[in-house]
Amino acid sequence: MANLARRAGSPAGLRRARPHDRGPRTEYLAFVLAGDVYAAPVSFVREILKPPPLTPVPRAPHAIMGIVSVRGQLVTVVDLRRRLRLAEPVPTRRARILLADASGGETLGLFVDEVLQVYRLSESEKEPAAAALGGDVAPYIEGIARPSLGSGLAAGGRRSVEGRTDDESQISVVILLDLRAVLGFS
Amino acid sequence: MAESGDRAREEFLSEAQEIVEGLGRDLLALDEGLRANRLDPSLINDVFRAVHTLKGLAGLFGATRMASLSHELEELLDKLRLGKVDLTAGVLDLLFRSVQLYGLILQAEKEGRDQVIPQVDELVRELNRNGGGSAAQAAQAPSRYELDPSLLAVLTEYEEHRLRANIAQGLRLYRLRVQFQLATIDQALDELKAMAKPHGEIITYLPTGAGADADSIELDILMASAVGTEDLRHALASGGVDLEEIPRRAGAAGGGGGASAGSGAESVRIPIHTPLPPSGLGVPSLAPPSRHDEISAGPKGDLGTLRSVAQTVRVDIHKLDRLMNIVGELSIVRTSMARLVERLRAERLERDLAADVHRLQRTFERHLGAMQQGILEVRMVPLGQVFDKLARVVRQISREADKQVNLVITGAETEVDKLIVEELSDPLMHMMRNAIDHGIESRSEREAVGKPALGTIALNAFQKGNHVVIEIEDDGRGIDTTRLLEASVRRGVISADDARAISRSEVLNLIFIPGVSTKGEVSETSGRGVGMDVVKTNIGKLGGVIDVQSEQGIGTKMTVTLPITLAIISALVVLVEDRLFAVPLANVQEAVVLDPAAVRVIDGREVVTLRGSTLQLCRLARLFELESQASQPTTNGWPSNSGTGAPGSANPDFRPASRTSSSRQYVVVTAVGARRLGLVVGTLVGEQDVVIKALGPSLKGVRGFAGASELGDQRIALVIDAPSLVDELHAPGGERVRPMIASRGSHG
Repeated sequence: MANLARRAGSPAGLRRARPHDRGPRTEYLAFVLAGDVYAAPVSFVREILKPPPLTPVPRAPHAIMGIVSVRGQLVTVVDLRRRLRLAEPVPTRRARILLADASGGETLGLFVDEVLQVYRLSESEKEPAAAALGGDVAPYIEGIARPSLGSGLAAGGRRSVEGRTDDESQISVVILLDLRAVLGFS
Repeated sequence: MAESGDRAREEFLSEAQEIVEGLGRDLLALDEGLRANRLDPSLINDVFRAVHTLKGLAGLFGATRMASLSHELEELLDKLRLGKVDLTAGVLDLLFRSVQLYGLILQAEKEGRDQVIPQVDELVRELNRNGGGSAAQAAQAPSRYELDPSLLAVLTEYEEHRLRANIAQGLRLYRLRVQFQLATIDQALDELKAMAKPHGEIITYLPTGAGADADSIELDILMASAVGTEDLRHALASGGVDLEEIPRRAGAAGGGGGASAGSGAESVRIPIHTPLPPSGLGVPSLAPPSRHDEISAGPKGDLGTLRSVAQTVRVDIHKLDRLMNIVGELSIVRTSMARLVERLRAERLERDLAADVHRLQRTFERHLGAMQQGILEVRMVPLGQVFDKLARVVRQISREADKQVNLVITGAETEVDKLIVEELSDPLMHMMRNAIDHGIESRSEREAVGKPALGTIALNAFQKGNHVVIEIEDDGRGIDTTRLLEASVRRGVISADDARAISRSEVLNLIFIPGVSTKGEVSETSGRGVGMDVVKTNIGKLGGVIDVQSEQGIGTKMTVTLPITLAIISALVVLVEDRLFAVPLANVQEAVVLDPAAVRVIDGREVVTLRGSTLQLCRLARLFELESQASQPTTNGWPSNSGTGAPGSANPDFRPASRTSSSRQYVVVTAVGARRLGLVVGTLVGEQDVVIKALGPSLKGVRGFAGASELGDQRIALVIDAPSLVDELHAPGGERVRPMIASRGSHG
């Protein structure tokens, strides 16, 4: 039950900005889907949960895994991998659910394979999707980021949110997701 | 500060709303009286007073639109009271419109919208114009009677009008002399009024100035009645009334003495001298003038509402919802606690402790139950609230459509959850409109087939177990099933093959299918079903079902069956292939063991014979496509090492010991209205009170579930929406034994 707000209050708080970082930087939460690193604006993510027992809903749309109860509230969980038509590796202990406020006031749970860390990305570190990949890109891909070493907020040896063992430098490319577009169910 | 202002405003809005509703009821009664040619003047008074109160409230809260409307209405009503304007259907139309406009204004006030509502201005103008209307007032001078001029002198304008009106009807006048104790006069006078009401009208009452002692007061009551002296005396015998008829004067043609005295003398309070035999000493009036004012319930004194307000508390429904949610959470705690107690008792270590906790838990359970019941009761309101609205609609539509309709209401006192009542008004309104527009034939048409010219619509409500049944039955032309079927085939709603095999009730249910009912030939020829699919959906949202019966040429009957409350329900928890589901007990008739050998397949549907009648089966495992997963320990690869076990099922408590040893299955017989369906499930887990929570918007299109409930320990059971399943499986050409895919549109 990792609460982002609570994290922010801790000494190595994710939101604690160093003075020289101020400027047009946006915080992105990086996570793994089917082996690739994706990120979405932190402002969308209200909370990170370890998956509670999930109840599948028969006849639900394909991308919907089921429902969970979060402090007495029913939350519909969307499998982001399925939504993005990715492979679906067997979930591990590191699997998490991101609570996000979707349009229409609904709180959705987004299933991800693993949560990595928060990046503070300046505009210069982001490439718009069209520029990087050409015009024919899925609308939910906002762009590509190549975070510099300093932009990881869990700095100073603390590698990532969930203690991922990989070295940061290994993450060379992050796909930035437009969650609103992702969650816009058709 | 601002908050208390808000609260006062809220209070104002709900009080105004209540008054407006009362106003609507009184107008309906007036309408009825008008048609029966029997006008009750006290009703006009009630309406006048209601509008007067509204005007006062509006002034207090700066609701100018409401104030100006009330002002104009008040003028009109005052003229009605005084007989200066006759009550006609046209005038009533104006009044009914005002009720509607009050609703609009209140809505606007609630949302803080300030702009002008054109309809209000329009009505105000019309009211102004109508103000000039006159009444053919028979100038029946009261002077034809042996009335004391000094009595006439103190009559208010209204009282004088009532006196004239009664004389015009040729009624007899009586003088009643009664002694009252000062301490109890209000009550005693009300009793006397109630006693006298069936026999005539009390026009005025004045203190005689005499009384047996300092604590009592004697009143002279002027009453008009058609009843003879002896009969009236007999009727009022228990009131201790000294009664005397006021004789007519022999040569009646008196001058305008009384009449002219009336208007001018309003403010002059002459000590009253009565022509009756002196009843003791000429003691000066014991009653102070103020008391006189209070008793003569004139147009100005309007303190009557204060008393009743003290007895009731208005509560925002959302506050009750919050309370109910807390109770819901508590019942989850209770369930978890019960399980804990069971474990403790099984431990055999701390027996005393276990027994104590058990006792405590039982007490908790009992009180929680009482609390739940209490809150549910508070939420209950009589259906009359929505029926009154319907009655107004019927009046309006029948006048618009120029059809005479007699609405007969029974069971308006039947109580339902407030929320349901709110949500019910639109669907019922729609059905009512259909019944008049398309059901009831025109006058000439009716006469041609030998029906009474006056169409009848019966609106009945009654409680039936955990449900409330509402019926709307008309004696109109009924639904033309042949044409309905033809049109449905043409529109591709059902295939021609299915159409040949379809049963009559299935045909009628076609009116609820969107393609058929919303447009095209069907609605015009069969004359029914504009938006019936919407009606059905809305009723379905309330957990209710709608059935239709119709006989061509005889009439149509719509039956809506609703749960009494939505908040907490008892449910039967079942397991289907390791998944938990809850079936609302309200829909469950019984549960029996499935005998696989008894299953027959008829027309592609599996059925068993139960208690002599055929029951269609629905294998939930197949319907929900869970069958293949029976052998797998987990579904969709959920992490098995997270410590919570397989999704959906989870806790070993819920896994029946026998499950692996036998493949025994159960049939849960659900009944929805007249239709039944046997749900085949794996295991019956038990009965439990559950709070139904709605599934999120992204699961809106999923049919078959009314929501989900937490059973404690974060385990969730999907709540089966029995009505929608019954619909789905009973649908013409509906699902057969072959694996089902939810292929049809999402009108559920």
